[in-house]
Amino acid sequence: MERTRAPFAALREALHAAEERTRLPVARLLLLVLLLSVPLWPMVDSRWLRILVLVGIFVVLGLGLNIVVGYAGLLDLGFVAFFATGAYTYAILASPASPALQADLNWWLAIPVVLALGAAVGVMLGLFVLPLRGDYLAIVTLGFGEIIRILLLNVRGLTNGAQGLFNIPRPELGGWVLRSLDQWYWLLVLSAFLIATAVGRMRASRMGRAWEAIREDEDVAAGMGVNTVKYKLMAFAMGASIGSFGGLVFAGFFQFVNPSSFTLAVSINVLSIVVIGGMGSTPGVLFGALILIGLPEVMQFSETERLLSVINPAVPFADTTDWGRQVASARFIVFGVLLVAVMALRPEGLFPARRPQARLPERHESTA
Amino acid sequence: MFWFDQFVNGLTVGSVYALIALGYTLVYGILQMINFAHGEIFMIGAFAGWAVLLLLGGSAIAGPMLIVALLAAMIAAALASSFSAVVIERVAYRRLRNAPRLAPLISAIGVSIALQNVALKLTGGRDRVYPRVFPTGEVGLGDFSVGYIQAFLIGSSVVMMVGLIVFIQRTRTGRAMRAVSEDRATASLMGVDVDRTIVTTFIVGAALAGVAGVLQGLWIPNIRGTMGFLPGIKAFTAAVVGGIGSVPGAMAGGYFLGLSETVGRELLNELPGVSLPNEWRDVIAFSLLVIVLIVRPTGIFGERVSKRA
Repeated sequence: MERTRAPFAALREALHAAEERTRLPVARLLLLVLLLSVPLWPMVDSRWLRILVLVGIFVVLGLGLNIVVGYAGLLDLGFVAFFATGAYTYAILASPASPALQADLNWWLAIPVVLALGAAVGVMLGLFVLPLRGDYLAIVTLGFGEIIRILLLNVRGLTNGAQGLFNIPRPELGGWVLRSLDQWYWLLVLSAFLIATAVGRMRASRMGRAWEAIREDEDVAAGMGVNTVKYKLMAFAMGASIGSFGGLVFAGFFQFVNPSSFTLAVSINVLSIVVIGGMGSTPGVLFGALILIGLPEVMQFSETERLLSVINPAVPFADTTDWGRQVASARFIVFGVLLVAVMALRPEGLFPARRPQARLPERHESTA
Repeated sequence: MFWFDQFVNGLTVGSVYALIALGYTLVYGILQMINFAHGEIFMIGAFAGWAVLLLLGGSAIAGPMLIVALLAAMIAAALASSFSAVVIERVAYRRLRNAPRLAPLISAIGVSIALQNVALKLTGGRDRVYPRVFPTGEVGLGDFSVGYIQAFLIGSSVVMMVGLIVFIQRTRTGRAMRAVSEDRATASLMGVDVDRTIVTTFIVGAALAGVAGVLQGLWIPNIRGTMGFLPGIKAFTAAVVGGIGSVPGAMAGGYFLGLSETVGRELLNELPGVSLPNEWRDVIAFSLLVIVLIVRPTGIFGERVSKRA
């Protein structure tokens, strides 16, 4: 440990050492504890938690899309379809406003239903788009997402059309109802942690290596004996399953769904999270969601407005009397500029994915 | 006559799609990137044309002044759109030419979102309305007649497309564009100024989209910051259906998409028990896209299979 260049590097090495001693993912567990403790921090009030829940939903979606885009290299611009599948499946089966198939389904019991149905929808889409690659795949998946949204709007006998489905029940388990914001936040942190761990395992497995091979060159992968059809469908199934779970959380949290929540903008946001974070990188998804979903929301806070008013620049010829409010209401412009700026400065994303490496216990000089 | 009117409507929508699709296909042919901000270039053109028409007198424009005003509006739109495209290319795309594949796409999406919201902010979120300067009336014979505006829109887009083909096939710059799209490195070795050719491509595509914005404004007067988004997506669909990278493909794809949205929907409505409201035209457009790409994955005029995963 004599090569301590920066405190950060020292911390990383200490964590590595601890992980090797205890054979536990110490760094990840510490991060989990840190994230779980957030609602206990003094400055965190309900506004912050509400944003963090939203960020959490997008982290889940990002983890799902990361499999499809980041691992398997299949550019999907219609990820919202899977999000909608999960949200509407639960809404239709559980909302008292549901015009058909109302079954009073419990949220917790809906989890396996939604995961399975999401995977099925993923495989269905996958079968449709098997021969397509690159940008052709992108535009067809985009079309698929739009078709789903228009169907939600028009198949009124099932979805209640533009009015949507309301009074969707909260998760309830033996009389205990998931109600408060911090409980939702904890649920999201734990499920995102589980999903991230599962996804990490998949990536390190034979399946993950097959995905990587397909991403790098599909023809060569097929030539080397990788069953590209099977693994492409698996990527869609896994990604869709996770995306549907995000939808299930969305429906249970907001207790209301209607087609206007399932637009192309969602697909674009999730894709941006994955690419800005660094394709195929799990910490990238976390930070991508924090920046792209969290920052625009925080910009709406009145404190931000006041803060921006304090640093009011004297712009010549411009009316800056309402500077803070002006900047705060420009948050989508900031979102767009942020995408351009991050890509210009770090085209690989903020946290470029490192290839999975098998570390042998004997060799202590880690290459990481 | 109902069916003839539907056909003309299809051609009108198709002309707008085709003009925008050309910009997608030109840029794709040369850079292999989806210029997601191209719909916003169309929107900028529509606003520039609107501003010029207002400056020249708004709804008071009439007589010979109308021709001057329309020309001025179209030229202004082409200039404003081209200028924006040059700036966008310089700021958001150029340094990403050798970056990972998705980086320019995300950058383009960022430009698109930013421009939409800048326009929404500048207009306070309210629509602007084109002055109704165009004489109303129809040309043609009996049942087979076309409104002046639609005739003008279809006619001027055909003129522009012919002009584009002549430009690409017959001029030195056009040859450079074809060379760069064929093989950038070789073209560069042969003495083609690649950067300059790429900028020219953006200018040409943006000018077409800008004029398309004015034409659509004359036809459907309400314009707003988000107006470019759906036509942009549709036009990209048209370019893909036609075979992205192919110039005749983009034109054919545009008309094909326009006609199937209008005539195709009405034809489906003729089937017993089918009644598709207007919003289903998007479903038709995208379903068509899926079918075309599955039957013929390179598009109708496809020149090459996209092999890049």
